[in-house]
Amino acid sequence: MDSSNDDALDIIITNVVATFRTRCHLNLRTIALEGNNVIYKPEFGKVLIKLRKPKITASIWSSGKIICTGATSEDDAKIGARRLARLLQKLGFRVRFSAFKVVNVLAVCSMPFAIQLIDFTKKNRPIASYEPELHPAATYRIKHIKATVQVFSTGSITVTGPNVQNVATAVEHIYPLLFDCKRALCK
Amino acid sequence: MSRAALRCSGCGGSNIVEDALYCQAQQVCVDCGSVVSEDALASESVYVGGSDVSYSRSTAGAKKPCMNLIIGVQRVISICRILRVNSEIEKLAQVYYQQAYQHESFIRVSLQKKEHLAGCCLLVSCRLLNWPISMATISCLLDADTMVMGMLYIEMIKVLNIKAPIVNITDVMEAHSHDYQISSLHVPEELAESHKVLTQRAVELVELAADSWIVTGRRPIPIMMAAIYLSWQSLKPNKHRLKLSLEKFCHLAKVSKHRPATMRLAEMKEMLCKLGREIPWVREAVTPGNVVKHVEDILKHRYALLRRALRAREDALLAEGQASCEELPTKEDAPAHISELGDQNPNASSVELKAERTQRPADGDHPELPRETLKGPEPAANWGKRVLFAPPCVLQAKRSRAEQPERTDVTGDEDISDSEIDTYIRTPQEAREFALTQKMLSE
Repeated sequence: MDSSNDDALDIIITNVVATFRTRCHLNLRTIALEGNNVIYKPEFGKVLIKLRKPKITASIWSSGKIICTGATSEDDAKIGARRLARLLQKLGFRVRFSAFKVVNVLAVCSMPFAIQLIDFTKKNRPIASYEPELHPAATYRIKHIKATVQVFSTGSITVTGPNVQNVATAVEHIYPLLFDCKRALCK
Repeated sequence: MSRAALRCSGCGGSNIVEDALYCQAQQVCVDCGSVVSEDALASESVYVGGSDVSYSRSTAGAKKPCMNLIIGVQRVISICRILRVNSEIEKLAQVYYQQAYQHESFIRVSLQKKEHLAGCCLLVSCRLLNWPISMATISCLLDADTMVMGMLYIEMIKVLNIKAPIVNITDVMEAHSHDYQISSLHVPEELAESHKVLTQRAVELVELAADSWIVTGRRPIPIMMAAIYLSWQSLKPNKHRLKLSLEKFCHLAKVSKHRPATMRLAEMKEMLCKLGREIPWVREAVTPGNVVKHVEDILKHRYALLRRALRAREDALLAEGQASCEELPTKEDAPAHISELGDQNPNASSVELKAERTQRPADGDHPELPRETLKGPEPAANWGKRVLFAPPCVLQAKRSRAEQPERTDVTGDEDISDSEIDTYIRTPQEAREFALTQKMLSE
């Protein structure tokens, strides 16, 4: 029953964050001068480069550590990171693409039913927490796969996890719990 | 060494007297004044035969409690007195504060945070002992940021392992309505209203609003403000009250208006209109402009009106469904679609709805709802279009990005062409011009 429901549910990955290192010092001023689509932020000590395809924003530090955000899949993030490394190579730095790691994946999913959040929090007490005055969603942290699910009463959920597989597992894990606290749609 | 045998090393004289410098015994030469010999500053005989005891162990019995803890507990008591909570809550808050203060997560935080911790302890005690108070009230009292207090509260609950119930907005309503100065002491008679009546009607309005997705996920204060304004207007809908806008009402009651309250007011009026249209004895069209007159009737007969409105909606959808089902080739879609409509109202109380369901045999199973809705004409995610009341985020659902299916063939290890990368690099001439422009701009 779980896998068939998974087919019907659309898990849309909205953001993938990845990091990698270039193993060499980078001169931010040179990058700012010779690169297109570059924003130099001296107060933070970093440079932002926005790639067009895939649509990625990269923060580059002079130590050679780079964080890429905005990709819509893990492979997209990898190719964007490699493009960036290639770009830096062309700018004259002795770049070696290393330590690529996907750090965070954010996905959204929409349930076809509304959820009674107070009921959901009561049934999953210490793992779920809900403070309506602070945030309209209930937070459910799945420790063993290090994923956090935010459940909204309209039926939408957002899932953050270290990789796409964990995110999918988290949705599978939480679907039956949400189904139990389905809200009657007669209103 | 006898004194007689001592000789001064400075002058060689033997005229030496004993002269103590405070507690140190010294032998001093009278002729030149130099010190010949001196005793030890502290005599060792005091410690002869005693055991070595470290300082912390020797003063362990007389250890003083932490001063900041005492001040913190007193602060907890003073906040309790200001809010006039009962003594049980006061005691519980003190207990929690002492536990939390001495826990390793909170022992080293700043004093300001420790004060916020006092507020959090009070909040959790109030919730456990059924005293409705909102976090916003306590943050206002302590002049703290609600978000900071909130984070501290969540951490404290986790650390102390407390299971606190959630405060309902209707519980807080009475306390909130006391803020409004519109009793007969403060305003002229025709605009005055007693708190009790006002609160009661406002609570009914908020309960109705909760059923129609106005309350879920929204901040409580603008909702309460809109509810109190509407209840005040509808209790005596004369032209004086109807003419006064929300802003002027807030000015009259001496409360500061919250911007979202206007939107909540509009949403509530729209919801009341939907119900007002079902009133059988009202001939004219019910619009947000004239719905205030009918609020009393709507609230009195709200359950009946809700049922009528739902039934009208069901009929409209069935008519639409049948019209679209005539176009579809397969017969199985029709019962699937209708059973989907039937499935939406599992808790409907009216007899007529149940009769409709039994007339059309529903052969879909309940847990397979997602699969069935895919076969139906409307997408599963947009259930808002099928029901009477739905939150705005579902009614105006964001469309997912169209480029989704195109990126399935990316593997991450493809070749990257040079020309692609060159688009990101400025030509040397462009770079020179850019540097020149920057220099000119910075001068």
